[in-house]
Amino acid sequence: MTMKISRTNTAAALWCLMIIGFALVPVLMTSTYQLNLACHVLIWGLFAVAFNMLWGVTGMLSFGQALYYGLGAYFVGLMVEYLGRAWYLPAIGIGILAAALTAFLLGLIVIRVGGVYFTMLTLAFGQLAWQIMFKWYEFTGGDDGIQGIIPPGILANPIVYYYGLLVLVMISIWMLKRMAYSPFGLILRCVRQNPERVRFLGRRVRRNQLRVYIISSLFAALAGSLMAGVDNSIHTDMFFWTTSGEVILMSVLGGLNQFFGPFVGAAVIIMIEDIVGAWTEYWSLIIGTVILVMVIAFPKGLVGELHQLKLRLTQLRARRSQ
Amino acid sequence: MDFSFFITQTISGLTMATLLFLVASGLTLIFGVGNVFNFAHGSFYMIGAYFGYQLVAVWEINFWLALVLAGIGAGLVGMLAEALFLRRIYGRPNEGGFQILLTYCFILIIDDVVKLVWGTEYKSLPRPHGFTGAVNFGDIFLPAYNLLIIGVGVVVVVAAWWILARTRPGKIARAAAVDREMVDTLGVNVPLTMTLVFGIATGLGGMTGALAAPLRTVTPGAGIEVIIDSLIVVVLGGMGNFWGAWLGAILIGEVNAFAVAFLPKWASLFSFLVMVIVLIFKPEGLFAPRQVRKV
Amino acid sequence: MRNKRLLVCLTIAFLAFIVVPFCASAEDKTIRIGAMYPMTGRAGLYGKDSVAAAEMAIDEINSKGGVAGYKIDATFTDSKAKPAYAVRVAKRYISEENVHFLFGVVSSGVGLAVTEISHQYKKIFIGTDHASTRLTVDNFQPYYFRVSNNTFQSMAAGALYLKELAQSKPWKTIAFIGPDYAYGHSQWDEIRYNLDRFGVPYKVVGEYWPKVFAPDYTSYITAILNDKPDVLVAGFWGGDTVAFIKQAQAYGLFQRMLYFHPDAGGNYELMSAMGAELPDGLVLGARHYDNWPETDLNRNFVEEFHKRTGRFPTYAAEGAYAGIYAIAQAVEAVGNPDDTEALVKALESLKIKLPEDPEGFTSYMRPETHQITQVMAIGTTVPNSDYPPAKKMLGNWKVYNAEELVPPVEYLKEKRQK
Repeated sequence: MTMKISRTNTAAALWCLMIIGFALVPVLMTSTYQLNLACHVLIWGLFAVAFNMLWGVTGMLSFGQALYYGLGAYFVGLMVEYLGRAWYLPAIGIGILAAALTAFLLGLIVIRVGGVYFTMLTLAFGQLAWQIMFKWYEFTGGDDGIQGIIPPGILANPIVYYYGLLVLVMISIWMLKRMAYSPFGLILRCVRQNPERVRFLGRRVRRNQLRVYIISSLFAALAGSLMAGVDNSIHTDMFFWTTSGEVILMSVLGGLNQFFGPFVGAAVIIMIEDIVGAWTEYWSLIIGTVILVMVIAFPKGLVGELHQLKLRLTQLRARRSQ
Repeated sequence: MDFSFFITQTISGLTMATLLFLVASGLTLIFGVGNVFNFAHGSFYMIGAYFGYQLVAVWEINFWLALVLAGIGAGLVGMLAEALFLRRIYGRPNEGGFQILLTYCFILIIDDVVKLVWGTEYKSLPRPHGFTGAVNFGDIFLPAYNLLIIGVGVVVVVAAWWILARTRPGKIARAAAVDREMVDTLGVNVPLTMTLVFGIATGLGGMTGALAAPLRTVTPGAGIEVIIDSLIVVVLGGMGNFWGAWLGAILIGEVNAFAVAFLPKWASLFSFLVMVIVLIFKPEGLFAPRQVRKV
Repeated sequence: MRNKRLLVCLTIAFLAFIVVPFCASAEDKTIRIGAMYPMTGRAGLYGKDSVAAAEMAIDEINSKGGVAGYKIDATFTDSKAKPAYAVRVAKRYISEENVHFLFGVVSSGVGLAVTEISHQYKKIFIGTDHASTRLTVDNFQPYYFRVSNNTFQSMAAGALYLKELAQSKPWKTIAFIGPDYAYGHSQWDEIRYNLDRFGVPYKVVGEYWPKVFAPDYTSYITAILNDKPDVLVAGFWGGDTVAFIKQAQAYGLFQRMLYFHPDAGGNYELMSAMGAELPDGLVLGARHYDNWPETDLNRNFVEEFHKRTGRFPTYAAEGAYAGIYAIAQAVEAVGNPDDTEALVKALESLKIKLPEDPEGFTSYMRPETHQITQVMAIGTTVPNSDYPPAKKMLGNWKVYNAEELVPPVEYLKEKRQK
């Protein structure tokens, strides 16, 4: 009992530490670029964690989450472009609602199939959405994207925006974590491991799949809408399959079975991209090799392996003290 | 629409379809037999195109021989990649994700290696002797090389069917697809079979790259743009199904050809639209392989 | 055990801000340029050529002692042709490396995203290769300057070419094929606008929009043959031009209509890729040619580039070369690279002799648009093996006056009001 309490306390302490760490970025930074990098880590981190609810927890590998990420971003971009800056914040909410609705409607179609067919169907819808955004250039700006998306009022200040973003991302991740370890999360895990038994327990597999698909998608939309204000410009690339692919890479690299794995994976991939990209034009060779080695060497993902290491160390210590 | 235009458009759709199918055939083979989703298949196509360029334009080797050598070369690279890396992740939990990640690394690495060896300039291969002209039937105008490609497609689909259905290695491969352990117990070297299948599939991709080079541009990044389209074809036909991939490719090719003729503005939407519609009604693809029940 | 995971997150989050290199010695006398070019994939050739030419210009200037006591120092980063990534790089350049100028960019999508950053941070952005007219018209902002032609200028020259052609070889119908994104669409809009402006009658019999980087054009070719236009206007760039020409050649398209490709068709990459396969008599244009104009400046530029890299330059190279010299001239006039507003003024009145200027003409900046104003030439393919591996080059030049090619004031007003 005491141990449990102390562990909860340390968990809370570490949460605080993480929040404080990110909160200190604007104070400690030596350039606004670092702030920008922190924004990217937070947003991709949220996107990856939300994605992992779908894949790592429920076992549904979607190759089309870029659709919702892009949807969130484009709701903000288009509403600011056509209706004015004041619509920035409402657009985030409307975008999330629209994403949830889209996820509900598409979800009815895509969750009917499982496994690799689910993956392919989500890819097909994602690419269809990308093509539409790309082609509808009178309205969306097509490949030129939308520029000049400046948040209203005090939010136009990058530091203020950063804190707003930090609060939203942390609340979202906390909510997702609560969900992952709630009874609902438990059912989702059962859905992954043995859908038949979930049925025997009197729970509906599809309904739970649809729920988690909607939840994951609306958080992806939130991540996308937050990104619009970071770079002040958005682009159809956000809908492209490579965006969906990137978030898969982040999750695998960080560790699928760890709640924070995808978040760490996102941070690592963004760091590697920037550091190697700044250093050499042969980034693709180097990043490819580095990730290849990681994939072969760390089958549980980065966080999973660290977790394993810690376990082994404790066992070793326990054996020694015996 | 007059008849000759109809025929011309049908044949031009078939040319596109055949090249699509030839790339997709390797993808579907690896998926069907090995349950591996090779995201880097387009990169092997690109390697084949570069090998073809090197052999024909630089070393001035006979085109037909170069076609075979380019296929073998790409196949060897593929076998190496399978034996050194891919093999290590079989059987992991979430293997699918690791496959995507690992083959994505192949894409990154191969892209840069190609750039280091051949530079960023666009390369091109001339059409081989005897296939530079065209065949005329009244108003219908058919380039000889396009007809040749369509022929190669038919040969490959028939040969693949014959090998898989009628020969012993083909039967082993199909059996391995269903139950790897059982085949292993029967004394077949399953890892070696997997490597060979991977080699044949990537070799097919490489040969297609060399075959397409006289009609396309040999350039870094050439692999990326074929992968999504061939993926659509594989999914449409039912993953792992050769005839399905062929028919799926023809469906996409012809829909595209006639969309270009009648709705040119929206033509590029159609391949995704076809995929979405088919998958909504038949999620397992048009010609899914019969489900074999595992006991 | 969960706490360990959190710890890891934290460590990594902190590492992020320590690892990033810290460099900010702003006191030394260098002009820092932050350049972004794609160096991988389809557009890699454009990027690599731009980098080589920019380095060449920098070496030339620095070996003569620099400008106003300053040496030029440029950093080149692969933009990966991705807007979001390029924005990150631009922000790093501005806030970590304290660059004086942002520089480069091949894709217009990336250019538009970077010009937004340039505007916000009040950093001058020198555009060297992207062609979208939007950057100097619709999305104009005071810190952006472009030192290469945009599509409007190419299309105006193209319209004049077609006008002259109608006298010698009457044509009535045109069709268009170009990549289905902003670059293709603006070419099609602008050629029609200019044909109307110059009073050229025409009838459109087809327009086709294949995907950019599409490997296969066969169905488009047969559909175009069925439309039977007199002139086919093409708007491809790079490898797409090569693929289209090869596939069209098999169908005998070039015997049945005039292939007209004024913006990027005449780029050297096409000649070097296709060698003897390239058909004669295609009408092509580009922003710079290796064999025109035959001035010492151009000859030297092309020869030096060939010496450095072992290949002849594509037009992207000359844009980057021009960009470095434009910066040098502006800094020379102002005396330092730090006074941004004065540099903007200096660049607005820029007059600069470039390799692509024929005798008697000097390129100059148009202050209303921050777009360089240049002569345009259009030629047809003829045998010429002076620039191997090319076996054909352009010849039979038609040259167009710079002033006639710029967008008229009404056009600017209409576009900027939107």
